[in-house]
Amino acid sequence: MTRLQLLGLTAAAALFAAGAHAEGDKAAGRKLVYTCNGCHGVVGYENAYPRYPVPKIAGQNEQYLLNALHEYQSGERTHPTMGAQAQSLSDKDIADIAAYLSSLAK
Amino acid sequence: MKRATILLSFGAVLAFAATAALAEGNIENGKAKAATCFACHGADGNAVDPQYPRLAGQYNLYIQQALHEYKDGRRNNAIMKGFVATLSDQDIEDVAAYFSSLPGKLGTLHGHIQGDGDGAK
Repeated sequence: MTRLQLLGLTAAAALFAAGAHAEGDKAAGRKLVYTCNGCHGVVGYENAYPRYPVPKIAGQNEQYLLNALHEYQSGERTHPTMGAQAQSLSDKDIADIAAYLSSLAK
Repeated sequence: MKRATILLSFGAVLAFAATAALAEGNIENGKAKAATCFACHGADGNAVDPQYPRLAGQYNLYIQQALHEYKDGRRNNAIMKGFVATLSDQDIEDVAAYFSSLPGKLGTLHGHIQGDGDGAK
């Protein structure tokens, strides 16, 4: 019985944690992606060196976007431009951007 | 002046080599080789679990770039590192050709920014 209660408590805690993981604000995200548009808004726009097209990010999955931006911010993922861009973003900005971009799935 | 010319031609050769290094792969071969990717990224390349990126319709050369970065450690992910270790350069080209050929939910930001007048979604 105690074990069952513990399980319930764990489940509740997990739910709470999921809820606490703030949902991003899409409207705010829409304003923030203005900067991203310079590269990610141009069809086939290429990274300078090495040359490859900057990825399509509209419609990308939310958690992946969150992870990518946090990794650029921490330096775990490296890219000169993206590293610099991510530095200027707060956690809330990142959540807002991810919420907006993921909502654009075709 | 002469040095500039030499440097310029050196740069041009490098740029050409970099472009040539990322060639287009074979879609059919890629589909067979991509079977292991499907568990996380979906057979249609539209990962359902939001922690995994959607690959369907992503740029061919971007997917190749990402796989090469996982392979040489520039990009660090324990799961991808394991998978990519088994892929040859040809495999990477083929897998990228397959996923980029699929119809997807991805797009550029064109038409999606404030002031484009498409209305917030």
